[in-house]
Amino acid sequence: MAHEPDAVPVVGTHDHSSILGILASGRPERIKACAEQVLLELSEISVLKNRTGLAMLPFQDTVEGTSFHLGEVLVAEAHIHVAGVDVEGYGAVVGRDLEHAMAMAVIDAAISAKRASVAIGVLLDAEASFIEEQEKTRLRMVEATRVQMETF
Amino acid sequence: MAYVATRGGEHAIEQAERLFRSDLGKISAARVSEIKTSLPYLVDRVMGEASLYEPDLAALALAQAGGELSEAVLLLRAYRTTQPRIGYAKTIEQADLFTVRRISAAFKDIPGGQILGPTLDYSHRLLRVEVLTGEDYVPEPVIASETPAPAEQPSLTAWQKAQGLIADHATDDVAPENIPDLTREPLLFPAPRAHKLQSLARAETGGVLALGYSTMRGYGDIHPTVNELRLAEAPVRLRHPNGTVFNAGRVRVSQAEIITKSAKLELGFSATFGWNEVKVISAATLDRASAQDAPHAASTEEFVLYHTEPVESSGFCIHFKLPHYVTFQSSLDAIRRVKADNVENGKAPEPVNEKEPAL
Repeated sequence: MAHEPDAVPVVGTHDHSSILGILASGRPERIKACAEQVLLELSEISVLKNRTGLAMLPFQDTVEGTSFHLGEVLVAEAHIHVAGVDVEGYGAVVGRDLEHAMAMAVIDAAISAKRASVAIGVLLDAEASFIEEQEKTRLRMVEATRVQMETF
Repeated sequence: MAYVATRGGEHAIEQAERLFRSDLGKISAARVSEIKTSLPYLVDRVMGEASLYEPDLAALALAQAGGELSEAVLLLRAYRTTQPRIGYAKTIEQADLFTVRRISAAFKDIPGGQILGPTLDYSHRLLRVEVLTGEDYVPEPVIASETPAPAEQPSLTAWQKAQGLIADHATDDVAPENIPDLTREPLLFPAPRAHKLQSLARAETGGVLALGYSTMRGYGDIHPTVNELRLAEAPVRLRHPNGTVFNAGRVRVSQAEIITKSAKLELGFSATFGWNEVKVISAATLDRASAQDAPHAASTEEFVLYHTEPVESSGFCIHFKLPHYVTFQSSLDAIRRVKADNVENGKAPEPVNEKEPAL
């Protein structure tokens, strides 16, 4: 996951970049359930954006170092404003799940408003562990395919 | 070419479409989901050629087109035009890739080692015909290692450059929004390298293979060896309104470098959406071939890039089955007129092949 160079923890040990990454890659149903809970602690929300759109993905050629566009990725994004505390929240996930993006934005806004910190911290820790475990399981299977070729 | 509007046939046209769709039957979310999970490499191919990454939509396109690839790619490209461009992700560098397969055919001992990953490269290609008689095929489970592979693998070309084996080009640090973009600009020749690589990334797999294969067989000076082949997942890193960069999810990508020896070691490169090894190896070969002074068509950038565009090539091909009555009628009239003129001027008629119908 991408981290800002001067990242500072925002919730527990998680900086803002890793929080957003965990919310985007975590289990959508868990993120949505947490957002429902968090919503109870936020005042009136205005939706600035909740839509799908295209993010162009550039790639760097390893031979001549040329950056080029690999293609576009469909992304669901949500951008909200919470009136009472005057904070904004933003979420974006690869794919078409607008509810997931909105749930991410709600949690992001709650973090800015310093609301529901315990519930959010529990969610982030659980989802970070889940993602890490999934990746580790996959990479243990990948490692099993490491090969030492011999020539005669 | 003369085109003309035609009238009539509305009923037949509607019934023809109904017949096509009724042959395919009901399209349900379950069918689309089944396509997505059981045919991921086909879904990848559609997304790569459509230049739009969204597996659910690619699977839906395949369901609607009944697996007809050019129709599926067209459907996804058409859907793309309904969506706004909301931004640019951060540029993917090789070190960012969550790599599951990484091999080199040119160098046995590479930094980070060789990882076969998910592949049938060394497998017997046998049909499991017993499945057709009701005996399910259940794959053997992977015996996982105790320790995981590193998620990121080192760059082979960086090592080769450090060894002085290949030329070390300066890295292009252009901002994503300033990278030449074929979806916003026409393809002109000589093409900027960014256009060439983007064009190859969205090229039709079969077309790229055919032309790449021709250069491999000898219609060109390229005999490629795979320097490095990777299957990986690339992070889509977006920017939060407050400036924080974060990973919004990952997409499957393939990347290939081929190496060839002429006066010195030279490399070609290609990458695309999805896992599609044949495409990136062929396209990397064409990338290298187009940098050489060879007379063959597959070594000519313009020939390669124009003729491997999937929607333009398939669209141009299939348009020939649509009504060309006026065009063809005028050709027929011209032939008849020449014949009549010849008779009038006393010229002997050309010998007629008896098998040819009289015009």
